[in-house]
Amino acid sequence: MSSLGMGLLRRTIAEVETFIHRLDPRTKFIFFLWISAFAYVFCDYAITAILLAACLALAAYARVLKPIGLTILIIVVPWMAVDVFVLGLGPFQFPWNETEIFRFNIFGYEVPLYYEGTAWGVTWPLRIGVCISSAMLFFLTTNQARLVSLLVRLKLPYRYIYMVMATLQMIPMLMDEANTIYQAQVSRGLRTDVSLLKRALHYIALMVPLTLSTIYKVQVRAIALESRGFSAPVRKTILYRTTFGKEDYMFFAAMTAATAVLLYVYFTYGFSPIAGMRFYLFES
Amino acid sequence: MPEPIIKVENVWFAYNEKVVALKGINMTVYPGELIALIGQNGGGKTTLAKHLNGLLKPQKGRVLIKGMDTRTTPTHEIVKIVGYVFQNPSHQLFASTVYEEVAYGPRNLGYEGEELEKRVKWALSMVGLEGLEDENPYDLDYGKMKLLTVASVISMDPEVFVLDEPTTGQDHKGRRILADLCLKLNEEGKTVIVITHDMRFVAEVAKRTILIANGRILLDGPTREVLTAIDVLRRAAIKPPQIASLSMVLKERGVDVNAITINEALEEFRKLFSAARR
Amino acid sequence: MPEYIIDVERLSYSYPRKSNVLIDVSFKVKKGEVLGIIGPNGAGKSTLCKALNGLVPHFYGGKFAGKVIVAGMNTLEHSVAELATKVGLVFQDPEEQLSGVTLTVYEEVAFGLSMLGFPKEEIDHRVREAIKKVGLEGLEWRSPFELSGGQTQRLAIATALALEPEVLVLDEPTAQLDPIGKFEVFSVIKKLADEGSTIVVVEHEIEELATFADNILMLNEGRVVAYGPARRVLTMVEELKKYEVNPPSVTELTYLLNKTLGTKLEVPITLEEAIKIYGEALGVM
Repeated sequence: MSSLGMGLLRRTIAEVETFIHRLDPRTKFIFFLWISAFAYVFCDYAITAILLAACLALAAYARVLKPIGLTILIIVVPWMAVDVFVLGLGPFQFPWNETEIFRFNIFGYEVPLYYEGTAWGVTWPLRIGVCISSAMLFFLTTNQARLVSLLVRLKLPYRYIYMVMATLQMIPMLMDEANTIYQAQVSRGLRTDVSLLKRALHYIALMVPLTLSTIYKVQVRAIALESRGFSAPVRKTILYRTTFGKEDYMFFAAMTAATAVLLYVYFTYGFSPIAGMRFYLFES
Repeated sequence: MPEPIIKVENVWFAYNEKVVALKGINMTVYPGELIALIGQNGGGKTTLAKHLNGLLKPQKGRVLIKGMDTRTTPTHEIVKIVGYVFQNPSHQLFASTVYEEVAYGPRNLGYEGEELEKRVKWALSMVGLEGLEDENPYDLDYGKMKLLTVASVISMDPEVFVLDEPTTGQDHKGRRILADLCLKLNEEGKTVIVITHDMRFVAEVAKRTILIANGRILLDGPTREVLTAIDVLRRAAIKPPQIASLSMVLKERGVDVNAITINEALEEFRKLFSAARR
Repeated sequence: MPEYIIDVERLSYSYPRKSNVLIDVSFKVKKGEVLGIIGPNGAGKSTLCKALNGLVPHFYGGKFAGKVIVAGMNTLEHSVAELATKVGLVFQDPEEQLSGVTLTVYEEVAFGLSMLGFPKEEIDHRVREAIKKVGLEGLEWRSPFELSGGQTQRLAIATALALEPEVLVLDEPTAQLDPIGKFEVFSVIKKLADEGSTIVVVEHEIEELATFADNILMLNEGRVVAYGPARRVLTMVEELKKYEVNPPSVTELTYLLNKTLGTKLEVPITLEEAIKIYGEALGVM
């Protein structure tokens, strides 16, 4: 079976083994919660950028920088551009704008760019970036079976665990299917060099078979799993060692040290130590 | 001697560095042939078939369809000549009625109005699905869905039909209907190429058989010759149809029998037994 | 210990949206027997398989009448999970049976056992046994998605065998496979049959079935239209052709020869038998 989808399936289930892959999934999940919390505690684009850089550095070490980096690029950067435009520029009347940092001259009109709006415009998307990158780090470095073990330990009902499993399986399957369906329709004359309307109709010719065959596959798999005792109301045997190891404790130690530093900065210098941003709801 | 309708010249194709699917394939097909393409999965049958309608382009060598090079001719021109029926109906069917499904292909080719309607009706009658125009394709049973996918390619009226494993997953009745359909299309002058694992189907339907294994053509000739080339078949792990096996064993023992189908065997054994009586 | 591993009595079933899929079906399967089920598509064969492990009616709902008793358990009174240790069900499409969450063949075979809460040592023992039975030794640490069709289907059989069921039910296990895959799967089934396993197999490959089935059941439109020892059913050529089911080629040939020529040849159901019969008849043994 040589196909794009299968290749993706194998690759995302990490044929790589770094210490991040070896960390218990709970450790990585806690990291996600921890770093996201700090991203929100500080109202500071510089601090948030440092946190994001830390996530990306870990991603690079775990060799998953490309998918995470691309996602950040696609989601966060355009968002920042839009936010800075809307919040930073004078005409849009962002209420916290005070300090002018630049003045544009457009068609004879003077359009000021404010620091506060720009700073907030950059910070909010950065915070989301931290959440997304730490979450993706968790998913991309945790093999599916371990993930399922984690969910089982959290005592999630099996129906939901199954849904998670089904989704994870579906993606490479869908990619494969989509390619075959595309080829089948090309063989019936589907062209890419036609009008937008025709292309929209062709989209239906692709989506319907894809959706129906996906639903069918999910059902067949559900039946097969049922036949293997999937919904037995007994305590399942966990095949994976889900105990914390030495590396997990080292990681927690590092997180604790970082927490100490961050809290010190917070209580000594406030919630916006570097950028000096203000959060007006707390004043007056 | 008419011009070949398909010419495959020293074609090489690899999906990636590890999987080289075709290693120097040479094949010539004349109009009106009825060919079976056999071999284990992963051997290159489907890869080769997808080169015939321009879905895949050779990395080395070339494929000529009616003289047109598939690497330089747009795919939508090639699919007018070579119709490809995919294995799984659920990869093709999307319309809400049988009529719309069969009309999709010709509509893409630019047909409309009365001409379109004529084609749809003709295609449906060829497969025996007339009267079901308003049915939802997904309400049909598997056998009819399969026939519908063939009809939706028939309506494009190509000169060549490539059918990818039409017999897989079918019951015996379904195989018979498909066998009859292949013969009928061939009688109308169409070139038919069938990928299949069903050796009985091959013996009863195909005039020429091509065996592909590991990206190379191991056998290419009249079906009778190919299905009795026992050494090559064994290497490719293919079992001949039961009647052919019977004939070959008896032939080794001195009986002159060459049948590969039940009907042929009936004839030959009738003569043998009548002669033995006298 | 019941004498029959499977006892189906007057089973009738309708899906919520399709009625009369099975009508008044009765048959029994003894321990160690191999039952082949044949018939055209839509006859109810798959539904019958699913009725043996409780998917029908527990998973699908619908209207169920009659009795299905497997290894002493009435399927109406036990859940699919409970029946999973008595009936191993293998489906047609090899890939669709993979759980998709395991990284290796070993884990895949262990999956069902871990879902049922077996202790680890027991799991390891059973997994190794099952992998040996289907001939996948050496492939334990490969990804299930890297296997060929035949290997994947054998993996599916191993996952069913790991639960050590009393009967193995296979629904058209070779339909989607190439010739070598078919050969691999039939070899495993024949080996299991030789070792005394009770097997129910639905197949269109009648020529293969003829070489190892003890009894044959033929369904058409939900009803049993033929049931008995393999030799008796497979030589009922007219009956089979009536329902558009092809008997083995050599069977049909001999039947037609006898009919048109008046010869009294014994009717073979396998190639080996045919070679012997024709060889003798033509004096070339």
